[in-house]
Amino acid sequence: MADSSRTAAIPDLRGRPGPPELNSGQKLMVFVLSMTLFGLANIVTEVLPEIQVGPVELGVSYLTFVPVLMVALFHPLYAALGAPLGEIVFADLLMGDFSGIGELEGYLQMFLALYVAGCLVRDPGRRWQLALASVVTVVVDKMLSATVDVAKVWVGVEEADSVPGLPESVLVLEGVDFAVALVISGVLFGVLPAMALGPRLHGRIEPLLGLAPRDARHRIPLAERGTGAFLLLAVFLSFVAMIAAFTNEIVDNFGVWEPDFVELYGARFLWVGASAALIVLVGLVVSVRFVLRSRGRRAAQDRQVGERRP
Amino acid sequence: MRRERDRLSVEWVKLELLRTAYATRGGLLAGRDPRVVIGWYLILAVVPWFTHNVTVLAGLFVVCAAAVVLSRVGPLILGLFVIGFVLEGLYVLFAAWLFGGDASTVLAMAEFTLKLATVSLASMAAFVSLDPEKLSDALLSLHAPAMVSFGVSYGYRMLPVLMEEFHTVVDGHRLRAAPLASKGFLGWRVAVRTATTLVAAFYPLMLNTAKRTRTTVEALETRGFTYAAEHPDGRRIRLAALRADRWDALFLGATLALVAVCFTVGRAFPLLGGAV
Repeated sequence: MADSSRTAAIPDLRGRPGPPELNSGQKLMVFVLSMTLFGLANIVTEVLPEIQVGPVELGVSYLTFVPVLMVALFHPLYAALGAPLGEIVFADLLMGDFSGIGELEGYLQMFLALYVAGCLVRDPGRRWQLALASVVTVVVDKMLSATVDVAKVWVGVEEADSVPGLPESVLVLEGVDFAVALVISGVLFGVLPAMALGPRLHGRIEPLLGLAPRDARHRIPLAERGTGAFLLLAVFLSFVAMIAAFTNEIVDNFGVWEPDFVELYGARFLWVGASAALIVLVGLVVSVRFVLRSRGRRAAQDRQVGERRP
Repeated sequence: MRRERDRLSVEWVKLELLRTAYATRGGLLAGRDPRVVIGWYLILAVVPWFTHNVTVLAGLFVVCAAAVVLSRVGPLILGLFVIGFVLEGLYVLFAAWLFGGDASTVLAMAEFTLKLATVSLASMAAFVSLDPEKLSDALLSLHAPAMVSFGVSYGYRMLPVLMEEFHTVVDGHRLRAAPLASKGFLGWRVAVRTATTLVAAFYPLMLNTAKRTRTTVEALETRGFTYAAEHPDGRRIRLAALRADRWDALFLGATLALVAVCFTVGRAFPLLGGAV
């Protein structure tokens, strides 16, 4: 193999006590790799035929094992950020199927699902962890998308609860979709291929990127940051997706903007407004802290480089 | 005979995908400034959710449909869209009937479908005719992360190479594999073989792509990619080509006027659901 010399140069990285922090180039590599592969997988999915049995669509919604292997083998954050972008760029934008705001919703769902799954994996060599990650990805993604869909109907149809038969039918359709996705995308194209390919790729693909393989004994920052902060992020993102669908509830009374709208909408309106404010606040605090920290780190790096140079 | 058709179909699918991605696009929205196009889309994607008035929705639908016609959306995408919406509507109606719905259910679903259709038509008109690279420049100027526009440019250039490579790997698998003795019940053996080949093809593909990615990223970083993406000067140079003229202003103004007309007409002649 032509790259054996490259691979041979790596072992000094493996010998170190802990995996070194990724530099910006390596983050970009993980991001681009995950983006490219999931994008290609989505193009392949577009080509695969689908069987329709009544309202049930027996098709592959995505090849789950590709992004799951990426988040399991590499840093979950950068891999999870890249994969849904690949879907948007390759399968939607280039194929002329870009749906604007809807893409943002899909991106948040898929990112959250993959990030959760990647954090659950500690050792990509273990098959059951990969299986768990595949199932979790599909479950989180489909749960969020079902929530958004139901919210859309609830908002888009006038007094949806009082229309006979509507809530049940929407829920049944969502439930069937969920079950089909879990079996086909989650198990057939998720658990089984991930279990087969994961241990083979582990330790082989990382050196090609100049990275140390993920090691169960060493925690990766941002991948094991306690469940607390992590759940916060989960709730936060799902709420953002929900609120995006709920906004029209607030502005529904655009034409009849009267002071008694609180009475009309009651506590629900206040709740939506308050949670929107809370989310904006939390988002601001988190992003400001993140920016400050990364700036501090970059400044420290620059200082180190400056000291070394003379 | 079968082998001949099979080979042709894979080749055909590949060409068709490439044609969709790289065909010259044109039409009403293609010549406009991409930022204006995004603004236009946002107006028409958000406004339908403000109303339950079917007259207004029908008016907005007509506006979006006219835009789709003017931006020369291909028949394939349009056909898929129509089929998808008709099927979806039928299924929901069927399910509503199953759970004891009546005419009001049908009306509610019609209104909802109209809303979704309007939004989809708006996105089709806006983004099908728009060059992906122009779109990514517009997103960059709206302060989207630099990664998004990089992803678009990268995908735009790498897509043919990747598809070619995937095709080669799959062909290799097929060459090495013995032909199936029988198709099995409902062709299940064919399905299983196709699925396993696809999955197996991803193993070499992942390794190859990893190597290629490293080369690309190292080349990019040598030229200061991350630095340039973050530096204001780099941004300025990239976005210098974006320029909105008075035709763009006129276009946005006309859209707003049309939306206002829809709402006025809807208030004057409410078809259903009086609340605007």
